Amino acid sequence: MTTAVAGPTRTDDQRAKADTAARRPRRPWAPYLFISPFYLLYVLFLLVPVAVSVWLSLTEWVGLGTPHWVGLRNYRLLATDISFHRALGNTAVFVLVAVCVVVPLALLIAQALNTRGLRARDLWRTAYFVPIVVSPILVALIFGLLFDRQFGLVNSVLRALFGTGGVDWLGDPSLAKVSIALVMLWRWTGYLTVFFLAGLQSVPRELYEAAAIDGAGRLRTFTTVTLPALKPVTAFVVVTSFIGAAQIFEEPYLLTGGGPAESTLSVTMFIYRAAFQRQQFGYAAAAAVVLFVLVFGLSQLFNRLLGIGRATS
Amino acid sequence: MFTAPPSRRTLLRGALGLGTAAALTACGGGSTTARTSGDVTLSLWTHDPGYEAFFRKGIPEADRLTDFRYHLDVTRAGPADLVTKLLAQAVAGRGTPDTIGFEIGSFPRMLRGDIAPRLLRDLTPDLAAVPGLKDDLLPARLAPFGKDGKVYALDSDTPMVVYYYRDDLFTRWKLPKSTETWEEFAELGTRVHQDHGASLCVVSTAGSDAGQIVQSFQMLLYQRGGAFFDAEQNLVLDSPEAEETLRFLCDGLRTGFVIDISDYYGAAMQAALKSGKVVGLPMAIWYKNYGLIANVPEQKGRWRVRALPRFTKGGGVTAALGGTGFGVVKDKANTVAATDFLLKTWLTHDGQVRRFTETGYLPTRRSVYADPGLNATTDDFCGGQHLFRLYRSLLPDVPAFHQSPDQSILFDVLAGNLLRAYRGDATPRQALKQTAADYRDQAGR
Repeated sequence: MTTAVAGPTRTDDQRAKADTAARRPRRPWAPYLFISPFYLLYVLFLLVPVAVSVWLSLTEWVGLGTPHWVGLRNYRLLATDISFHRALGNTAVFVLVAVCVVVPLALLIAQALNTRGLRARDLWRTAYFVPIVVSPILVALIFGLLFDRQFGLVNSVLRALFGTGGVDWLGDPSLAKVSIALVMLWRWTGYLTVFFLAGLQSVPRELYEAAAIDGAGRLRTFTTVTLPALKPVTAFVVVTSFIGAAQIFEEPYLLTGGGPAESTLSVTMFIYRAAFQRQQFGYAAAAAVVLFVLVFGLSQLFNRLLGIGRATS
Repeated sequence: MFTAPPSRRTLLRGALGLGTAAALTACGGGSTTARTSGDVTLSLWTHDPGYEAFFRKGIPEADRLTDFRYHLDVTRAGPADLVTKLLAQAVAGRGTPDTIGFEIGSFPRMLRGDIAPRLLRDLTPDLAAVPGLKDDLLPARLAPFGKDGKVYALDSDTPMVVYYYRDDLFTRWKLPKSTETWEEFAELGTRVHQDHGASLCVVSTAGSDAGQIVQSFQMLLYQRGGAFFDAEQNLVLDSPEAEETLRFLCDGLRTGFVIDISDYYGAAMQAALKSGKVVGLPMAIWYKNYGLIANVPEQKGRWRVRALPRFTKGGGVTAALGGTGFGVVKDKANTVAATDFLLKTWLTHDGQVRRFTETGYLPTRRSVYADPGLNATTDDFCGGQHLFRLYRSLLPDVPAFHQSPDQSILFDVLAGNLLRAYRGDATPRQALKQTAADYRDQAGR
């Protein structure tokens, strides 16, 4: 006699799985088709231009006709180009201003705007945000008038208050940098304030209450509660400010044209000048590649240092 | 036999095919078979509405003198943008204009490599085909738009540099109106500054505009007999004439004879003119319209124009500054029509007369300076002065002017060094030496 061994009976769950498998779409490429537009655009508008720029940087091209292959010549020339070194130095100064002055100032203003009981809060917020929506051309026009050596409002005020004026805000190489920095400060502080304000409003109120119970003062509360809570926002703001300042173009281009004596020439202006004023597209592409490598490398470094994108324990 | 109607899918496929074909046709380069007569719509790019008005008014004359019936499709943009857009469209292989105006400072970009010969029609044979025309055109105004003996654009102006002054204040302050030399004039200017706080000469220190900073020096340098580039496009800036001119301006700034203004055309200059801080300045003839009338229209009748004082050591009594050359894009269906249009509006005697009366730009043909009508014209802004007669007398002194593809490099480095010299941070000699060194370092990269 043989004993028949009954196989395991199918549970409802297994049946459901089997049904799902049976209903599995016959077109496994469909999901890829749906996500393909992004990759297509990514390749078309990011990878291809970057690759072409790298290739162009190894050529000499006037903008028309066939580029001539020159290998690494453009990079060798950049290494000894005083103008490019100046542009790198100026850009570094603007980056430092953005990261070390604008960001902390934005944080302080956000903290002030977040204070309980502040009247006309929305008005303040709007006032701080307005500079970023004003056209850069208008900004340049207004600040050009303000900073004019002979007839500018800033010098008039200085003359009225201290009896001294005639400061060459845009004509003196050192002061021109300061003027650009002031415009950056005016233009970007309010914009960054909004990010910090959003971050501040998401800090749990209980943390502040706990700090108060523990007897922490304002400064202590700020350093032990607010700053740690704002770390992800700060990291984002620092990195975006760094990237934005490293590519600064509008302010110096419109206000000083990179002058006087290239004292406000930024790297992006250097690239623009080489390509669209001197018809040296290969050289401009080489400078652009150097800028890309620097910005990409340093922003990756910032990302690691500030822990952007890492899950918090 | 009964035939079934096409299905909806078939119709859709057909429509798609037709649409694709139409789109591909539209994307094509278009016919390059040259039009030789009939209706033609020329695409004209310019930065100046005055030129647009001039060419539109010239259509009937061009229709009468050619086999074409012209229509214009005008695009306006900034001078530098026009060149950028032209090159971009040329790379794209379509969308280029038929005729384009190059502001003289933007044209050197076309001189880089083989851009000009590749894109623009060589107008030399067209000029040679008209009897007497080539010899009648001022070489000084052809050279800036030429390369290797070929002419790629025709200038809009002979923009002589003259001296503008406030006649009413000169009279009130009992100042002589015909000082012979710059040196005497500088002494006079020092006294004027001491007595009235006004200046008789201006240099621009517009940080955002290297070209404007260079202009102030350029005008007097060329008048003195110096130059930036020679006919072979070599830099000849580092010269005794340049040093003398720069020293003259620097000394003038110390004494107050010269004032530095941040912008020739903007608010700073307007304030200086209105407040009487600037009562005279050397500038090109077009400055009357674009600088004085635009900024101080209420001073109509008070300004006068005279020849520049001479430099004791040499040079002439004028220079040239600015200009816009109109060129024709080659190998297009409308190339012949555009060339004819330019020749029959821009270069005819009547056209050159009209150019002065309507836009204020001086003729580029020598013979037109003898026109009785032009010599009889008076200028209201300058108190009814016969300006054209003055310009005619200056014509023999207009110096040659040559451009280089590396001109923007020179302007960038020169502007910075000029400012250093003006501020006293460098001597004129050092500033010019440094400019030459910086230029050599950057040119040809």
